Amino acid sequence: MDPTAQVLRRVTLFASLSDDALARVARVAFRRTCAPGETVIFEGDPCQAAYFIAEGQVRVYRLSPGGREQVLARLGPGQAFNTVPPFQPQGINHATVQALTAVTLYVVTCGDFCRLVEECGELALAIVQDFANRLDHLANLVEDLSLRTVRGRLARFLLEHAPTELGEAADAVQVAQNWTQDEIAAHLGTVRDMVGRTLRAFADAGLVRVERQRIVLLDRDGLEAEAQR
Amino acid sequence: MDDWALPEINVLLCNRCGVCVQRCPTGAVEMGPEGPFIARAKDCTYCVRCEAICPQQAITCAFEIVWGIKNSETRTV
Repeated sequence: MDPTAQVLRRVTLFASLSDDALARVARVAFRRTCAPGETVIFEGDPCQAAYFIAEGQVRVYRLSPGGREQVLARLGPGQAFNTVPPFQPQGINHATVQALTAVTLYVVTCGDFCRLVEECGELALAIVQDFANRLDHLANLVEDLSLRTVRGRLARFLLEHAPTELGEAADAVQVAQNWTQDEIAAHLGTVRDMVGRTLRAFADAGLVRVERQRIVLLDRDGLEAEAQR
Repeated sequence: MDDWALPEINVLLCNRCGVCVQRCPTGAVEMGPEGPFIARAKDCTYCVRCEAICPQQAITCAFEIVWGIKNSETRTV
């Protein structure tokens, strides 16, 4: 297999493509490296390409109305960004993306990306499935925002993102993703200060304990009750 | 469990404004030749204030979400 195709195979979006479909992507993808701190794309600029991360980490952020950077996500190997605007007539970059470490990207221009989708049904299906998952998440978020308080959304977030609950045996392997308060806020559609205040309120109520680098969930029933608010 | 988990400071994003040094409530952060660093790890309470006030978003304080037992230590394998 072509070396580029081998790298692209590790991208989640391409994981289920046939070798032939993947080879078609590999033929048009070109490699780009970025130094730590380098900005890959700027929010609001015309979209030039879709990007797929082979190595390194980037952060995705937007500017709030007050001018403060709001971090939306940190992405790493196998993840992609800027895959939506190529399909919009005047597509613009939805966020700024900056390298946190040395980064290796594979880049597909908007024109090539759209052409591949037209020509390759497998790729089109993979993209539709990815967009469907995102749409699902956003629909749930809209429901959350309109029906639940920040307390309710945070409680549900904590319950959904804690790994297997430990019983007395405590042999379960914890596979945990680390979250900053900014990332939690972006996920919940609020700001980091609200997340911090709400966590303190939960701690005061005995629902959680905030330790160095850990949010320890203590009261499942209490959190589930909060999640209904 | 790493009891001395510390905020991560990305000196490449840092503009050396020194706000983190000024505002650290325990004085754990100092400015070094390459940028700020946690000079006194045991004084750092992981209060996340440095992350909140950094204008460059150069400081990261991340959390795992884990289950625990009330009044007991968290057990992790």
